[in-house]
Amino acid sequence: MSIKNKKRLIYPGLLILVLGSIFLAQGFGGGRYQISDSLSLFSSSTLSPSERIILFEIRLPRVILSFLVGGSLSLGGAALQGVFQNPLVDPYVLGISSGAALGAVIAILSGVYLGFFTIPLFAFSMALFSAFLVFHLGKVGKKFPLEVLLLAGIGVGFFFSALVSLGMFLAGEDLHQLIFWTMGGFWNSSWREVKMVLPFLIVGLPVLVSFSRELNAFLLGEKVAESLGVEVEKVKKWLLLVVSLLVASAVAVSGVIGFVGLVVPHLVRLLGIRDHRHLLPFSFLLGGGVLLWADTLARTILNPVELPVGIITNLLGVPFFIYLLQKRKKNP
Amino acid sequence: MKEYLQAKDLSFSYSKRKVLDKLTFSVKEGELVGVAGPNGAGKSTLLHLLAGLITPGGGEIIIGGKEARFLSRRMWSKKVAVVFQEVPQNLDLTSQEVVTMGRFPHLGRWQREREVDEEKVFWAMKITSTTVFSDRLFSELSGGEKQRVMIARALAQEPELLLLDEPTSHLDVLHQLEIMDILLDLRAGGVAIVSVFHDLNLVSQFCDKALLLKEGRMLSFGRVEEVMRAEEVEKLFGVEFLETTHPFSLRPFFMPLRKIKNETHRGRIHLICGGGSGSPLMRELLEAGFSLSLGVVNQLDSDEELARKLGIPVVQEKPFSPFSPSTMEEAYRLAQKADFIVIAPTYWGRGNLPNLDLAERLVRENKVVLILKEALDSRFDYTEGEAHKKLERIIEEGGEVIEDLSTYFSSPSS
Repeated sequence: MSIKNKKRLIYPGLLILVLGSIFLAQGFGGGRYQISDSLSLFSSSTLSPSERIILFEIRLPRVILSFLVGGSLSLGGAALQGVFQNPLVDPYVLGISSGAALGAVIAILSGVYLGFFTIPLFAFSMALFSAFLVFHLGKVGKKFPLEVLLLAGIGVGFFFSALVSLGMFLAGEDLHQLIFWTMGGFWNSSWREVKMVLPFLIVGLPVLVSFSRELNAFLLGEKVAESLGVEVEKVKKWLLLVVSLLVASAVAVSGVIGFVGLVVPHLVRLLGIRDHRHLLPFSFLLGGGVLLWADTLARTILNPVELPVGIITNLLGVPFFIYLLQKRKKNP
Repeated sequence: MKEYLQAKDLSFSYSKRKVLDKLTFSVKEGELVGVAGPNGAGKSTLLHLLAGLITPGGGEIIIGGKEARFLSRRMWSKKVAVVFQEVPQNLDLTSQEVVTMGRFPHLGRWQREREVDEEKVFWAMKITSTTVFSDRLFSELSGGEKQRVMIARALAQEPELLLLDEPTSHLDVLHQLEIMDILLDLRAGGVAIVSVFHDLNLVSQFCDKALLLKEGRMLSFGRVEEVMRAEEVEKLFGVEFLETTHPFSLRPFFMPLRKIKNETHRGRIHLICGGGSGSPLMRELLEAGFSLSLGVVNQLDSDEELARKLGIPVVQEKPFSPFSPSTMEEAYRLAQKADFIVIAPTYWGRGNLPNLDLAERLVRENKVVLILKEALDSRFDYTEGEAHKKLERIIEEGGEVIEDLSTYFSSPSS
């Protein structure tokens, strides 16, 4: 019974933690923390116009965007790990990250300008293109055998990465911008990026959660799932489609941020949560929180220089993950 | 009871190879049908077809009076549950969570488990005696416990037809019987059951009907007592079986004897033995491809019993009686047909001495008589040397003393 009670408490708890994180992160800036900046979220009347712009047009959208991107990546990772029944799968397994990077390279090098959204648009389109390419290559008859899909994703990923490297080699003075993009970060975040990611989440999160029972059935193997009434191929198609859109939108606005989508679902499982009805929303909230704090660290730790957040996630996340694995090995 | 499942001319091909060819059979409510056959006969494919996991290449399946191809996946799963041979590995869910998954076809996308679902899960776990470990992780259970949880999961689907693929393989005898008990309970509850069994005797002991599959074809289908005969299962597996009756169930019980060999006939041997001296030779010679005859031996002699079980023609004398002239005459006629006469190291007494006279008579008629060297040992002689004298005479007449049979028959001279 204690487990059930714990589960009942953990949702409001996590929600409070997330809101508290947004509140606290809003106070970090210029290498220090100011409670007044956090409190301005509740009463902004005393602020000067320039303060207002810094806090509400730059800092707040960035905090929220990092949360949404982290949430999307973790949610996507958790769903794909469920579909592939493989805990080593990350949300980029369908070649989405290298596709998006290639899109950004094309946008930057070609000099095409279609307004403010040029780079995210190119990244998003190429991310989806690579996902569909992987689907197409991974299709055998009417089915999507998982190993084939996985191999197709790896193949397409390598090919696009090679093109990205080629682009970088030829980039000249655009190289700096390209490198920054491929490392991932939230430098230019505004409400527009938030608006780009949010619709995919608003649709994607409930749709993915609605597939929880199917994902649970997948734990017993595809054959058993099918015998239980799961239309395996249809479910796979839907999940891959939704995750592709979700992750593509996230990558398009933030660049390639590693670790979060792979490891956060693991952390949630290490907490003993394996039922996808909880695993998916938990991964979303925890992933959002983790990236929010990683980004806060990235923009304050070496003030006035900003680190790409991808470096932070990898540097801090992987050792933490290894520590948790060791602990689990000792007392499973 | 009415027919629940009907298969008509059911066929399935896998990339042009016919895996199943026109199977026609039916299963009634509350009937347990056992499917048996050698590896690769198409047993698992049959279950996959009946579960709707693959589409038949021809023929039709009727489930509960409805043509199954019109059933949605979900409807199919409401009626038919499957227990697969392999159990999932590394499954970190509690047994109860696993069993609850059986409610999947009964729940809508946004629906939470209702009270009735919990009741069904509880019932399924009770009937399979898995309630005790409902909170334990599936990955931590033993093989037999896992299999029972998987059966409970299938039962939580409330199936009208339950399909099982070798549910007892990898289980010890006790756990096998536990599984069979569960199946018999369900059968009593009116569930139609089709199960593949590796063990022929589980079919003959527990099933109502047997479906014998060989190379994708139905060898036979019908009540166990009618279908499961030694000659039928011999055809099925290419193995000779000894059919006896199980002392409790009074149903046929099969003991595998040996591979049926299609070797060229190597000739016929008449064996003179008794008291168990012939038993090792019989097996050796049959394996080597000879046909045998035997005699004279007393009834209840262990050689006589084995020969009868192996289907070897035997000339018998009443228990513990000396061999009468008429029996000896019978043995002579049988031995005449043989190409070789073999004398095994047998204890000689007044009763069975006429066997040596028989050998002497045959060697005089230029039959090849082989005496195993050990037979000459005086410890076998309870006739104060008389048996030895007779053996000497046989050797004088041309009987050959040999070290052992396999060297004799494998040497090129023979």
